[in-house]
Amino acid sequence: MSETAFALMFTGLLTFGLGVFLLLSYRNLLRIVLAVEVLAKGVTLVLLAAGVQREMLPLVQSLIVTFIIVETILAGVLLAIIVICQRTNGSLDVKLLSRLKG
Amino acid sequence: MTMLLGSLVLMVVFVVLVGLSHDLLYAAISLALASVMLSVVLFQFSANIAAVFELSVCAGLITVLFVSTVSLTKDSDQKTESKLPAWFLVPMLVVLAGGSYFLVEWLAKALPVLPAGQAAPVSFQEAFWGQRTTDVVGQVALILTGVFGILAILRAKVAGRHHE
Repeated sequence: MSETAFALMFTGLLTFGLGVFLLLSYRNLLRIVLAVEVLAKGVTLVLLAAGVQREMLPLVQSLIVTFIIVETILAGVLLAIIVICQRTNGSLDVKLLSRLKG
Repeated sequence: MTMLLGSLVLMVVFVVLVGLSHDLLYAAISLALASVMLSVVLFQFSANIAAVFELSVCAGLITVLFVSTVSLTKDSDQKTESKLPAWFLVPMLVVLAGGSYFLVEWLAKALPVLPAGQAAPVSFQEAFWGQRTTDVVGQVALILTGVFGILAILRAKVAGRHHE
């Protein structure tokens, strides 16, 4: 593995790990969305590392663009759910999320 | 290489600041700066289109959406959040760095060495519009799913209020 791919993969996994830690640590729904975004940054870096390692950057670039769209839609839907949750419960505590009814 | 390492280190610093910030707005700004650093990394590999997407959508749009949500929800639980995760963040960073290092070392040895760039497309255009055409359909479907999903979530609540 080249030094560049190593640095990218290392930072990607580190960022992913930090995202998982933040995701499991906080109870505030807004902070959980931030943690999911941190996770997504790690995944983007790992994808880039794979592209650098295999010298297939154009293909990986198209995958990254698709992933950014997935990430944005996910954030939009999660934030909409958070707004509804806050209006229903008056709180952003993740433990109260089960009170939402369909 | 120096600029790449500098960008990566700054990105990790901003990600750590996301966890350390008590104010959600500062956390959102830190995340936006981490996205800016990621787009700088992408620019360094000439992945210009992905870099522009990262800069405009992740650093721009998502930050705007997040700040709007913070103001809509009036940030009700921010002060009740435990400070314990922030205390654990730096030791956890060291543990994760060690784990990531050994994982990448193991991956570098365990993965088979494949001949590089055998079927590498010439350009992003060829890869995106030629080889990954179905991704475009998937992206359109995703965007529609997101739009209709948000509409359904917000409309269901309004309809529920009328019903009550």
